[in-house]
Formats: sequence, structure tokens, C-alpha cells
Amino acid sequence: MAELLLKKQWTRHTYLADQEVGGKKAGRAAGGWVSDLAAQKKVITLCQHCTHKFNPARVNYRKEKEFPVCQAKCDGCSTFDPYCSLYIADDLYTQVRSTAEERRALARSRETRIKQGFL
Amino acid sequence: MQYLGAFSGNSPVIKRYKASATGYVPGIIMAASVAGASGQMSTSTTTAVTDTIGILLDNGNLQGASVLYSTTQGSEEAVFGVIVNPDAIIRAQMVTGATGTAVTAETVTTAASNGLTITATGAANFTSPEKDEGTVWYTSGANVGKSRKITSTAATVITVIVPFAANAVGDTFLSSGAAIGLRFVTTTTDLLKLRTDAINTSGAALAVIDLELNGTADSYAHLTYQDCVWNYTT
Repeated sequence: MAELLLKKQWTRHTYLADQEVGGKKAGRAAGGWVSDLAAQKKVITLCQHCTHKFNPARVNYRKEKEFPVCQAKCDGCSTFDPYCSLYIADDLYTQVRSTAEERRALARSRETRIKQGFL
Repeated sequence: MQYLGAFSGNSPVIKRYKASATGYVPGIIMAASVAGASGQMSTSTTTAVTDTIGILLDNGNLQGASVLYSTTQGSEEAVFGVIVNPDAIIRAQMVTGATGTAVTAETVTTAASNGLTITATGAANFTSPEKDEGTVWYTSGANVGKSRKITSTAATVITVIVPFAANAVGDTFLSSGAAIGLRFVTTTTDLLKLRTDAINTSGAALAVIDLELNGTADSYAHLTYQDCVWNYTT
């Protein structure tokens, strides 16, 4: 079946809405928007309905597990949700987050070094 | 700096705010922009974190290059993620100097059998910057891993009230102006680390709530905001 492709008719209102930052642009597919965020290594927050559609390992992201949820605007559906999942670019993760696992390893190392007589 | 958690145990609250300038790096503490600034947040400085809004999580790298703040028409607006919990606990590595090298290790030059004084070489100078009310901890010798609050200083001598075990010439130790409950710190030029060689009576309004006293390259302080824009602001 033939499909008519028409140029979008922008009103001033929709144009201004499209220029507004801090979220997905009007009419933009969520997947493409989230991919763009991932390319920029920006923090990504996705609500319970959207999070399963994102594969963090594929774009070198790490899901925050110490805090199972965060309160943020979902990058998929642009809705504030107090139960979002938080994803941080893998190479930025240790720069902005300290995990119990890392601190536990440091405590074990400290204990070993003290037994050896130096810190 | 790293986000460690919050006093309340709440989940992180994440917002995206507009940058006011270039040079933002993940992990720095952001402050609310002053009136007339182009964006919503600005960086703190080494000695000031007035009107803190939170800790930066990203800087919009695009395939290796930062998305720059720009005032050019048509350019992408620089909008970055921030954890804005006012009761956040921030973890910062303790270092020496403005560029953030390892904490300077000192060596005991005169043994003290009573464990109340620690004497180092003349180069140490514990009074400039003043380390009184700070923290001292041993990294080798009989007191390895032990720490005390500093109660007075002289140029080459640190004094404590709660005695260590007797020390010996050659024992090594570290010291910092930071201590639990003190409300001011100084950060490195990149705003990511905490200087141990800085006075603790003025500077950036971040209070020390805990210390991880390890070696020269892996000691940390836990900090909390003293001047947060989401609370009462001075």
C-alpha cells in the first residue's frame, strides 16, 4: 500500500517544544534518543516500563546495583518516576561512584598490609 | 569525588541541569549559578562550594570529545546529570598539593616512649598549613594503622592526648588537617580530591563525617554538604 510522506508542519508551539532540552525531542523515537545519550556517555535513567528495553553492556554502560532505584525523569518515556534504574558509562563509573564491593576490597587490603607491617 | 550514599538512605535523585561554562568533569561538586549566569549550575572552587546543588555524573562526552558548553546559536545545549540529594555523602581521596599527588609520608626522627608526640624532620612543618585539630595515623612501625586526633602542633612535632604505643625512629606516618566534624576543606585544582595539606578553619563548606585512613594513595574522607541550595541557604 502506498504511503504519503508529508513534511511535518511545525507550529511555533511545537517548534519551541522541540528546542527544549533536558529530555527527548518531540517526535523522537525513545530508542534513538537513549542511543544518543549513550554515545555521549551521559547518565541514563529508565523507568520500570522502559528499562528492560535497554541493554547496558552493549553500549559499555553499568547498571547501578547498590542503589536499585533512583528518582529521575525516564529517558524513554519522559516521565518522572521514583523507581527508575540508573545507568552510568562504564569508564566514568569509578569516578563518580564508590561501591561497597570496592571499599570491602580496600578494607581487606588494609588488613593484609597492616599484618605485613606497613600501610 | 564519588557519591557514596545519603544520610537518609534514600535513593539518589537525579536531575539534568544546564551548564554555565566549559570544563565540567564528572565527580565534581556543582553549585547553583549566580544571578545573570547563562546556565543553572556552575563548578565549585577549591575553597568554596556555596549553594551546592549536587555531584556531577557526566559531562556529555560524544565519542571521546566533551559536548562543550556553547553560546553559539544552533549549538547543542550542554545539559548534564547531577545527583541532587541534599544529604548526600561524598567520598574524596585525600592527597597532597594542588595537583593531587600522594599524601606526603613523614618519618619519625625522635622516638617518644610515652606515645604523645611525633617528631619529624624540619621539612614537615605541621603549623603551615596548620594541622592542629586534624588527624595523624601511622603507616609503619608498632602503631601501624592506628590514628589519633591532633591536639597541638609545632613546626616538626605533632602532639596527641590519647597516647600511641611508643614509636621508634624510622616509623612512618601521615597527617591531615581533616578530622571528623570539621566543616571546611580545600580541594585540588581539578576539584576531585581533598587536600591534606590545607587549613581546616576556612575553605569549602564540606564537613568531614568519616575517614578511611590507609596508605599514601588510598586514604579517603567522607564529606557532606554544609551549604546546600535545597536547604536553608546563607
